[in-house]
Amino acid sequence: MKLQDMISPLELKALTHVEDKEVEGIFISDMLSDVMSSAKAGDLWLTVQTHKNIVSAANLVDMAAIVVTHGKSVPKETVDLADRFHVAILSCDGSNFELSAKLHAIGFRPR
Amino acid sequence: MNATTCRHQWDMIDTTYGFLVTEKCFHCGMISTEFSLDPTPPLEEYREGDHTWNLVESAQTIRYNLNCRSCGLRVDLKGLLGLMLCTGCDPVCEVDVLRRRFEPERRWVYVAFGFLPEEKHVQLTDEKIAALEEYINQRRRSRTSSIKIVPGRMVSKIQNCYGEVIKDTDMLSLTPPNS
Repeated sequence: MKLQDMISPLELKALTHVEDKEVEGIFISDMLSDVMSSAKAGDLWLTVQTHKNIVSAANLVDMAAIVVTHGKSVPKETVDLADRFHVAILSCDGSNFELSAKLHAIGFRPR
Repeated sequence: MNATTCRHQWDMIDTTYGFLVTEKCFHCGMISTEFSLDPTPPLEEYREGDHTWNLVESAQTIRYNLNCRSCGLRVDLKGLLGLMLCTGCDPVCEVDVLRRRFEPERRWVYVAFGFLPEEKHVQLTDEKIAALEEYINQRRRSRTSSIKIVPGRMVSKIQNCYGEVIKDTDMLSLTPPNS
């Protein structure tokens, strides 16, 4: 599914420019170590972390986008860095669990 | 298949979670970094030869090696402290020069750092950095962007560098969850 097509049904808010990337899977973790070891290219990354290094890690793996859950505010320096490196950051008021349920409802399964 | 003719297909192997411990000798200013499996770093200062080491930081990270699934070649990356995305802070730094050159083609420059002090640790060879770069680009599968990895020795003044090695530190949040 295209990232652009997921924003409205999942009630996500784009904090950066969003490119038309294909989302191939879901990855949930708050640790960069987990991203480096286990995330896959094309994954949508659900996290509560907002430190600017999430951009470096997501870019290294070429994740589809980062979704900051629980309505956490994302610092401007993180958003600016993400825009520079074409890493999309979206936010969502719901929890990881709520968003996971919505993702399941639109057809995503563990890959 | 012969390792010299193989078009390597890399996998990450031997993934080990641990801690990147940074210490500083406050007498001479030397920085020491180690990968440790111990979650509790030495909090008290201690002497080792001429140095008195004090803890600066302990951050979670991973260590791994690479293996080619075609020819079985293994690349030992124990010397890799971590990777840092160059965001550009010093126009005369060779890494920043490369970043400016590659950025228009979406080739992002990451720096592969070895452990300190350099003379105490085996540093990454160019061949190992090339294998790491190949692995990361194979893992990304992107046709629109790629990663260039350069050795830490290319950074002109590490003390002035604004970049941050990817590791789990300062990963805090100062806002409560909405739900």
